[in-house]
Amino acid sequence: MKQLLVFVLFAALFCWLMFSPIYKHVLVIRQALLQQEVDYMLEIGASGRYGYIDGWMVEESRVRLAQYGFAPALLEYEIHTASGADGGESANPLLRGTGLRLRIAYPYENLLDIDRLIGLSPPSEYARISGRGMKMSEYVPD
Amino acid sequence: MAKLIFSVLMIIFWWMLHALQIDEEAAMRVVHEAKRAIDRAAHAAAQQVDREKLEMGIVSIDPDVAGQTALSYLSYNLSLDAGLEPLPGSFLRDPVQMIAFEIINEDSSFPYTYRNPQYDYEVTLDRPGVVLIAHVKYPRLFGVLAPVEWELKGAAELVF
Repeated sequence: MKQLLVFVLFAALFCWLMFSPIYKHVLVIRQALLQQEVDYMLEIGASGRYGYIDGWMVEESRVRLAQYGFAPALLEYEIHTASGADGGESANPLLRGTGLRLRIAYPYENLLDIDRLIGLSPPSEYARISGRGMKMSEYVPD
Repeated sequence: MAKLIFSVLMIIFWWMLHALQIDEEAAMRVVHEAKRAIDRAAHAAAQQVDREKLEMGIVSIDPDVAGQTALSYLSYNLSLDAGLEPLPGSFLRDPVQMIAFEIINEDSSFPYTYRNPQYDYEVTLDRPGVVLIAHVKYPRLFGVLAPVEWELKGAAELVF
């Protein structure tokens, strides 16, 4: 009986020790996906055709990221410009030469909670993983 | 006893593999991000036309404005301050060094081939442009990975 108990406990410990670091990969991949989405949106938004990132583009982006398992409502988009102008208005695109800035943030979502078992405190609920970037707008009016 | 020692060693070995894997994944991400930052900086810098020369019909890059622009795009995209030191929240820990920033202006004859044998870089420009090489050091999360440093290179032409 004692041996059985030791076996069960050890097996559980082994499984946990060996597989708990897997969750860190989820974090790395999520971060990379956010950065990829930022780069894609900047590529489109700062192109010669648009010069802005408006609400509709953000909605499309939420749908794309939802396909990777992000909760769309938790995604936070921050759109700024180097000049201080509004970068989210389709009626008023940024002219060529101004930098368009985008940051997409997402909470950790209990991913590191398992580390509590070894005494590491998880990041606060306000902590975010994020991707960000600035790209020069290429928009030239006709 | 031997089994216990064996299992502890196995756990340590297994965790080292995990650490190595996570660090390599993160390094791949950082190198792509830094390369993109350099491309964006080089492109933005190369578009800074000297307006006074343009009035005379000469298409030329304003070196001062180009330098400032490159610096601002590089520092924003990598979360650095004006001295290219990482800001809090940046994924880098060591300052980025701009080891080459060359502006190839209208006084060169085009197509112009820029060669930098020291960093093994060669690029041919058909128009005035900018070449940017920066040194980026990857902040290792764990000591398992050998130090990783990159000389990232980017070039852009004046597009009009």
